[in-house]
Amino acid sequence: MTRRGSGWIGGALLALATLAATPTRAETGALEQAVKATYLYKLAPFVAWPPGAFNATDDPLVICVQGADAFAGLVDRAAAGQRVGPHPVLVRRLARLERTSGCHVAYVAGSQAQSTAQALAAVSGSPVLTVTDAERGPARGIVHLVLNSGKVRFSVNIGQAEAGGLAVSSKLLALALEVSR
Amino acid sequence: MTSRAAAWTLPGITERRLTTLAWISALALLALGALLSVRNESAFRHEMGRQTNAQADILAASVTAALAFDDRLAMRQYVDALKANPGISAAAVYDGQGNQLVSLRLGDAPAPPAHAAPVSTFWRMGRVLATRPAAEQGQVLGYVYLETRQDSLSDVVNRHTGVGLLTIMGLLLLILVSLAAAQLQARAGQLTIANDRLTEEMEARAQAEEALRQSQKMEALGQLTGGIAHDFNNLLQVIQGALELIRRRSSDVARVETWAQNGLQAADRGAALTRQLLAFSRTQKLDLRPFVVAELVAGMRELLIRTLGPNIELTLALDTDRVPVLSDRTQLELAILNLAINARDAMPEGGRLVIRTQPTVIETDPVLEAGEYVALSVTDSGEGMPAEVIARAFDPFFTTKSMGKGTGLGLSQVYGVARQAGGEARIASTPGEGTTVTVLLRRSEQAAEAEAEASGPDPILAPAAGATVMVVDDDTQVRALLIETLNLLGYEVLEADGGATALEVLATRRPDAMLLDFAMPQMNGAQVADRARKLWPDLPIVFASGHADTAAIKAAVGDGARILRKPFDMNELARTLNGILGRTPADAG
Repeated sequence: MTRRGSGWIGGALLALATLAATPTRAETGALEQAVKATYLYKLAPFVAWPPGAFNATDDPLVICVQGADAFAGLVDRAAAGQRVGPHPVLVRRLARLERTSGCHVAYVAGSQAQSTAQALAAVSGSPVLTVTDAERGPARGIVHLVLNSGKVRFSVNIGQAEAGGLAVSSKLLALALEVSR
Repeated sequence: MTSRAAAWTLPGITERRLTTLAWISALALLALGALLSVRNESAFRHEMGRQTNAQADILAASVTAALAFDDRLAMRQYVDALKANPGISAAAVYDGQGNQLVSLRLGDAPAPPAHAAPVSTFWRMGRVLATRPAAEQGQVLGYVYLETRQDSLSDVVNRHTGVGLLTIMGLLLLILVSLAAAQLQARAGQLTIANDRLTEEMEARAQAEEALRQSQKMEALGQLTGGIAHDFNNLLQVIQGALELIRRRSSDVARVETWAQNGLQAADRGAALTRQLLAFSRTQKLDLRPFVVAELVAGMRELLIRTLGPNIELTLALDTDRVPVLSDRTQLELAILNLAINARDAMPEGGRLVIRTQPTVIETDPVLEAGEYVALSVTDSGEGMPAEVIARAFDPFFTTKSMGKGTGLGLSQVYGVARQAGGEARIASTPGEGTTVTVLLRRSEQAAEAEAEASGPDPILAPAAGATVMVVDDDTQVRALLIETLNLLGYEVLEADGGATALEVLATRRPDAMLLDFAMPQMNGAQVADRARKLWPDLPIVFASGHADTAAIKAAVGDGARILRKPFDMNELARTLNGILGRTPADAG
């Protein structure tokens, strides 16, 4: 009697929780995507590119989004009208990330044409701040976005950054969940 | 001494000006203090603002990443780190839209504003409030707010101690200077009062001295009265006897002449006596003139003999050097008289009195200046004085005489006269052998003046026919005597019993001379003379007066007045009238 009773109550609670949770998770997901989209241009001020990464001082800072068209829309909207220092922010969508793509920041989501790992390998050792998302796979760029306690956080791999000639501000490192080489 | 005093006196700057100067300096010091305080405070605030801004900028730089990635935890850590800074009381971090994300509030500090204030730094209630942007690469990510701890009273005091002390010392200086100035002023006031009082006292003293001299004279006169009265009785006895004989034996012409001569001589002596007495009684101020002491003493012979009485033998040992001294004739006469009276009292059984004058040169003396002096000494052969009496003999009111016999002012008067003439009085005495009082009088640089009233040597009885003399006197007997005398001298006479009658007569007739009594009722001689001169401006007028003070008459009628002192004899009258009418005795004869 009691067992049956508790099983019934437990089932009812689970049902309620599911009912309540489903729309919340969807909203949270959208918010997280928006936050991540802003991160792409917000990271730039804390990173120093090697000389030669910009041809002129007012050259645009190019943020490339590889393999995630829907997300690219969000990035476009978030970065509209933003500047990083003297550089206006420009968002470009790519199917394939190449060393010659002219990207300063690259969000690597992976696509059928080029997997995340392939894209990362393509720009490895060049001055491109690669950003990967734990949601989209285990491959890690210089910055790896992670969801932590409901907030978007990140880890930083200084080794990769240094290999590309990038200097990451200690301020950014101070916020990182994990700093690796 | 003098140079030190001079060093403390600034030439041309009065005490009042010094005080004003001190006030101005002190006020300038205060103003400077205030200015320094304000500058200090302003510099302090500027520095505090700068420091707070720097601190806020550090915070802003630290939180940029946390702002960028909305890491509240990181922000909280950065903000909480400020707790270690004792100067900070509140802090906050705002996002790009100014919404507060993290805040810190320490102690009783007010909560940071919920919404970011515009970027600024300012002071409010002793705190610095700074709002600064948090930017990375020119991108403003948010704002930070810092508020410093409130300035405590002790902080303010510490900050302004130097200037405060300076100000307090300036004020103290000001108070001190003011007090000193007030004290100086009060002292100056006291000095003025003291000076006024001193002047008053000096005046009072001068008056007292005047009164003292007068009372000394009066005392001497009182002493004289007894002897003089006796003398007068003797003289009157002679006159009365002579007249009595003349009345009874008027037929014996040869003897009448002799009796009349005796009577006239007695009257002369009486006149001399009263003249001297009157001269003494005159109230007059000190009249310092050069004269010869020996001559003065010689002129007093008659009076001295009368004063001393028949039991005392008077010897005058006078010099003939005619050394002048500068003194008051009357006062010196009085001094000699005082010494004579003292000598008389010291020799109740009779004795000898020697008055000596002797020029003396003093070379060294503890009191007197070196120079020439005249020593006037009075020596008696009386009881003498013990040393303790000599020591106090010159003190006023010191007397060894019994009540009613003397006031003790006599010798002090003698001393006063001596000092006045630049000399001194000294006593030498041996009990049982007599006393010598010596008055030393300094020789005067001025030559002695001849005594004004010298009587002519030869008797003249010259008739002056034809002239008319008006006689004005209220006393019937005197008038009758004068008329008779004038008739005898050969004058025609107009008579009047007073001023009014005289002026009535004068209105119609001009006499050649007028003989006018000075002391009359209703109109005195001076007034009559004045009115008479209006009628006849060149009318010669002779005043006949028994009054002692010729100075008073001269003051009333002018220096040119001719005065006959009553009693006068026929010769004097004739001589005077002859003089007035411009005739010499030879002309008249």
